[in-house]
Amino acid sequence: MTAVKTTETAAPAGGKTPPALPPAVTGGARKRRRRGGAFDRALPYLLLAPALIAILWLIGFPVVSVFVTSFRKLNLGELVRGEIVWTGLDNYVAVLQDERFWTVTLRTVVFTVAVVGVSVGAGLMIALLMRKLSGWVRVALQVTMLCAWAMPILASATVYIWMFDQNYGILNKTLVQLGFEQFNGHSWFGSGTSTLAVVGLLIVWQAIPFLAFSLYAGVLGVPRDLYEAAGIDGATAWQTFRAVTWPEIKSLLMMVTFLSTLWDFKVFAQIWVFKEGGPSGESTTLAVMQYLEGIAKSHFGVAAAISVLMMIILGLITFQYLRKLLQTEEGKI
Amino acid sequence: MLKKSAANVAGLVLALFFLFPTYWMITSALKPKGSTITSDYDLVPFSVTMSNFVTAWTKPGFLSSLGNSLMVTLTAVLASIIVGITAAVAMSRFSFRGRKSFVLLMLVAQMAPFEALLIPMFLMMRDLQLYEHLTSLVLVYFAVTLPFCAWTLRGFVNGIPIELEEAAMVDGCGRWGAFQKVTLPLLGPGLVATSVFAFITAWNEFLFAKVLIRSQDRETLPVWLSGFQTAFGTDWGGAMAASVLFTVPALVFFLIVQRKMVAGVTAGAVKG
Repeated sequence: MTAVKTTETAAPAGGKTPPALPPAVTGGARKRRRRGGAFDRALPYLLLAPALIAILWLIGFPVVSVFVTSFRKLNLGELVRGEIVWTGLDNYVAVLQDERFWTVTLRTVVFTVAVVGVSVGAGLMIALLMRKLSGWVRVALQVTMLCAWAMPILASATVYIWMFDQNYGILNKTLVQLGFEQFNGHSWFGSGTSTLAVVGLLIVWQAIPFLAFSLYAGVLGVPRDLYEAAGIDGATAWQTFRAVTWPEIKSLLMMVTFLSTLWDFKVFAQIWVFKEGGPSGESTTLAVMQYLEGIAKSHFGVAAAISVLMMIILGLITFQYLRKLLQTEEGKI
Repeated sequence: MLKKSAANVAGLVLALFFLFPTYWMITSALKPKGSTITSDYDLVPFSVTMSNFVTAWTKPGFLSSLGNSLMVTLTAVLASIIVGITAAVAMSRFSFRGRKSFVLLMLVAQMAPFEALLIPMFLMMRDLQLYEHLTSLVLVYFAVTLPFCAWTLRGFVNGIPIELEEAAMVDGCGRWGAFQKVTLPLLGPGLVATSVFAFITAWNEFLFAKVLIRSQDRETLPVWLSGFQTAFGTDWGGAMAASVLFTVPALVFFLIVQRKMVAGVTAGAVKG
């Protein structure tokens, strides 16, 4: 009854706060001796009250509010006058009929898939590679990855802008030194695709450490004798990976892919500081579009509709992940 | 062992890839004015100066935004930890009606897409007359970090055997005394790790800081740095020095908990 659950002493990592998944919702409740008193019975509720109030007020209310706002016409005029104008589905119609919205959504999805795919793939490769490295090389790699991970987003974005600078950036200078004259004065931020590629590189660079570290810990969890057995059986590297490593890290890989998708889909800061969604809106993603509509243009109702659509996409991804999780764990949760 | 040396070479190349931006930030910050913006090929600094750090430090807005960032971040984290720990104790040490739904609520709240709540948050802070006040940022960062803190601390409290508390209570401690003298000290490392993550989240946050604060004397460091082109023009040395100063607190905190992070990620995940 008082068994200690050590598996949950988790402090998940990341520059952001990742939820500790998959959850072990059950357990943890320690039966105390019932001691009748009204205060004793009220005590857990009193302890929970501050957190509950905070969550309902600062998360629950905004969630309801974003839906409500999306059915209102709320521009600067209405906001200042305090008017409430219901427009039904007008905001959604406006957004969904706007060709730009579909372009931006497609761009966001492609960007997210590319960034998640590259960072998870590279993270996995590095995790597998780390096992094969000499001690000092591994430490060197881990320390440098920590440096990348720890750098605040705005600092790393500023450094990247400087490295990719058109005239004095070290990248162009290096490319010219290597004989690629056409990069002399090449602008990396001249088109949306090129801008997003640089932003993507920045995000991948900062995301890999978390992915590589957690996957490496997962790889280390694979019993050594399984590899020895595979070696004796003459399995190739690929066969060993498929048969030994893959089953052990599959659920972990699914989890970090899911978390990365949630994070990368909503990215705002990096995209904004590079080009503010430009040039001419070509690097605008949904998060940037929501900001531009809502805060820059003060079309709060329309922006709320975009937010709701974003939440629906994220909700679908979460639903898919949880469904897969329940399937593979066969309802163990 | 040709294979091993090939792996090592790949590892070193990757280490360079991860290190280079940090290296470039620091060396650019150390280069004397005038030798940052040059067409010469200058992968290694020819001479070194601290003057860029002085420039950054004395730039209008740097110190005030550093102060604002520290104030907002520390207040929010402190609030999250205090409220989080009471909730964690309730979830972990008591059985009561609705416990399960509350645990579930915490889990769901962690996944709340805050970026998509920008508009309602903005409207709410405006209604509360908190727009342009740092209090609004404290509230948002508190909300962002609270579910994570409560959830993680719950894990740490679960890891401390309740028998220890019960023993203290048999020995005459009250419930509060037992918690304070037994559980709280054991919770120390967990508290440090949790608060560092909360710190880094709030320290990094950009979107809400940009939207909820417009006036320059109240902006936080990320927003100040995002306008570096207004502050520094093409003084990349100064901008890099400011970036270094922005990175140092995060890096220090990061190194404190580095080990726990790696262990923690897998602890909850590799069960299946």
